[in-house]
Amino acid sequence: MKTTCKRLAAACVAVLAALSLPACGERKTAELELFAMDTYMSFTAYGNRAEEALAEAGRTINELEQRLSRTREGSEIWTLNAQGCADISPDTAELIGQALAYAAQTGGAFDITVAPLVELWGITTDTPRVPAKAEIDALLPLVGSKHLTLTRSDPALTVFDTAVLDPGCAVDLGGIAKGYAADRVADILEKYGVSDAVASLGGNVYVRGTRPDGTPWRVAIQDPLQNGCAAMLTLSDTFVVTSGGYQRFFADPDGTIYQHILDPATGYPVQSDLLSVTVVCPDGARADAYSTALYVMGEAKAASFWQSCQAEVEPFEMVLITADHRIVCTSGLADNFTEQEDASYAYEILAH
Amino acid sequence: MPTRSSPIKYRPTVWDALIAAAIIALGLLAAVLFYTKNARGGSAIVTVSVAGEVAERAALSQFDGDHVYTGNGYTLTVSAHDGEIFVSHSDCGGQDCVHTGAISRIGQSIVCLPAQIVIRLESASPGDADVIVG
Repeated sequence: MKTTCKRLAAACVAVLAALSLPACGERKTAELELFAMDTYMSFTAYGNRAEEALAEAGRTINELEQRLSRTREGSEIWTLNAQGCADISPDTAELIGQALAYAAQTGGAFDITVAPLVELWGITTDTPRVPAKAEIDALLPLVGSKHLTLTRSDPALTVFDTAVLDPGCAVDLGGIAKGYAADRVADILEKYGVSDAVASLGGNVYVRGTRPDGTPWRVAIQDPLQNGCAAMLTLSDTFVVTSGGYQRFFADPDGTIYQHILDPATGYPVQSDLLSVTVVCPDGARADAYSTALYVMGEAKAASFWQSCQAEVEPFEMVLITADHRIVCTSGLADNFTEQEDASYAYEILAH
Repeated sequence: MPTRSSPIKYRPTVWDALIAAAIIALGLLAAVLFYTKNARGGSAIVTVSVAGEVAERAALSQFDGDHVYTGNGYTLTVSAHDGEIFVSHSDCGGQDCVHTGAISRIGQSIVCLPAQIVIRLESASPGDADVIVG
């Protein structure tokens, strides 16, 4: 009798343990959608404090937009462009500092001082236009990092608090601000102990931890030529940013298509042999800046740049989709990369 | 003189085997219940949101035809035919939503920033993309 009772007790414990297994997989899920920084953003996070984390992420992004917008009157960047000098917050100083560093690394292929040309083309407005060559040539001398300086109002300060522009110059952080915002979101998720999350800030994606089933996040790269995806990446704890000219563009009355990324060297929309560039790296702002820069560079220079960075302290990986229907994936992504059977591309691995 | 009882020798019985089998069966059942719940929704679901609020949510297979949405003073016509969705007309300035073209894959979306309208194709199926860049 005693033995039977023990067996029954053991069976009860086993039943309770088994029934509690599904609860191990249940985690609090929080979701957030918002329109900010001239794009649509969506976030999904898993964890006990996921809701708090996303609430703070939303507030932070809105605060960043207030400071970094080129078109919002009174923002730090609007003031800098309007007055040639502005007091800037630590966030803005850090972001401008990073932008200047990436401009130097990419030989000016990424350059936030391209703003006068962006304005001239009306790229982000409802009424874009093709300027005369003379207009473009007149503004080209205003483009270049040498026209932007960070200073300290008090030599005792440890961080920059003032930005100064040469006369006529202007900055546009559109090519890096969303990446920087993604970095801040990652910091906030870490602060709240959120182990798993996926965030999409326009074309800027951050994947943290794993999907709910424990596998890496599945990040698909849009096919620039047709409906569907060109490749699939399985990733964790990294940033993914794609740049390309196939979605944002306008047509001249004569039918010529002009896409929205300008070449800082020529002042004209990029005429690239690439359809899109996807950069994968551990820093959001860097991924954002590099994706634009590599698209401007074109395939050959992008490959050389990737090679040169592998020997340095900040390597990155990339997927290039070329105009002649090839997908070039760097070797560091080979194990994370899946071809799409119905996509009409030849696939290549770029090795060191 | 006190005697010391000999150690008890356990021998598995049919009951032990039944309990072990029950534990394994319950574990498998719990796993199946958990994973099937998370895999539910293999077919595409269309979600249209306006200014962050869900305006319509339906299975892609039941979404055929033209649907008109208004947001922030702009009007979009969203058309669905043969498993594809696209913005067939918009009175917004940039026309990025129209330029996006047709979507048909899980994870794809069309966004009209001026109208603050988002059309998404969603699924919880494990084989689909979680997010699309580009």
